[in-house]
Amino acid sequence: MTVWHEDAADVLVEAGVTVAAYVPDKRLSGLLDGLACRNVVMRSLPREEECIAYACGQRIGGGRPVVLMQCSGVGNCLNAYGAFAIPYRIGIPVIMSMRGVLGERNPSQVPMGKAAVRLLETIGVQCISLRRHDQAGEFVRGVLDLAFGAQENAVLVVEPELGGGREDG
Amino acid sequence: MRMADAVRAVVETLPEAVCVSALGTATSALRLVSDDAPHLYFGGAMGCALPGALGLAEARPESQIVAILGDGDLLMGATALWSFAAYRPPNLRVVVLADGYYSITGGQQLAVTLNAASVADALGGIGTGRAESAGELAKALSEIGPPCLIEAVIDERTWPGPSPFVDPMTVRARLASRLFDEDHGMG
Repeated sequence: MTVWHEDAADVLVEAGVTVAAYVPDKRLSGLLDGLACRNVVMRSLPREEECIAYACGQRIGGGRPVVLMQCSGVGNCLNAYGAFAIPYRIGIPVIMSMRGVLGERNPSQVPMGKAAVRLLETIGVQCISLRRHDQAGEFVRGVLDLAFGAQENAVLVVEPELGGGREDG
Repeated sequence: MRMADAVRAVVETLPEAVCVSALGTATSALRLVSDDAPHLYFGGAMGCALPGALGLAEARPESQIVAILGDGDLLMGATALWSFAAYRPPNLRVVVLADGYYSITGGQQLAVTLNAASVADALGGIGTGRAESAGELAKALSEIGPPCLIEAVIDERTWPGPSPFVDPMTVRARLASRLFDEDHGMG
């Protein structure tokens, strides 16, 4: 069986994604490595709002970026969504790993784990949960279509069932 | 120098450049001196103009990009200065309009002097300069190649021009037309 992040990396590259802006995260490390191996330009940025704004600039310039981040940083980037990406109608594909839910042992992660998807959906960002490895390619393709085709902001939510996160010890 | 004089120096020195103006006086001044030419005008998202310019510069290496930031805007997204230093696009200039105030939010004073040029100098890899007049700013922009950060000292605090509350879709469509010579080029 293919691990989710391998299919995701393949689909992102096939769709013409050339740059990934990210805030580091353990569950996403396989995807980050996979993208780097596929010659995607990697941009480690310190804050989630920087990633969204950077990706908006890329889109305005005709680029095809993807943003990767952890759900704990959703609060940081709401203003970049609400006052930049959404009103300028710039669709950004985001892959977001979940913390604070199934199997979480760190109490400080739980509040944003409970709220992240609802916060995003409240400002109009669609969130699609990925829980099965064999759906990664299809779901990544769908998020890219929403972002680059429909100019909608969409987030693929990488759930703990896929492993690779802090819950695994 | 006044905000409008500083931004006029940018536009006249680098007439082909695409400017990215932060919310507030930067967007107002750019609207005034460029006669609403197609640039990326921010109407919100304080702190996001520099990373937006960074993304645009990397997506358009053939274009010259100038980020025009108020010092308050830069302070709100100061981590982007480190990102600028990390990736240093060779086509990105940053001009900081340093008046020491958050103008758009009602004129509150910054709690600290930003010293943006000194900070950028300390980070390394970025050309830096400080200009106290429009003439000095034009000279610095001519002599200090990108990637660079020039701090323009604003000592006459007047609201520069029209409203900074731009229509985002119009801004995006007009800039796309300029960049791609078509109705939209986001594809």
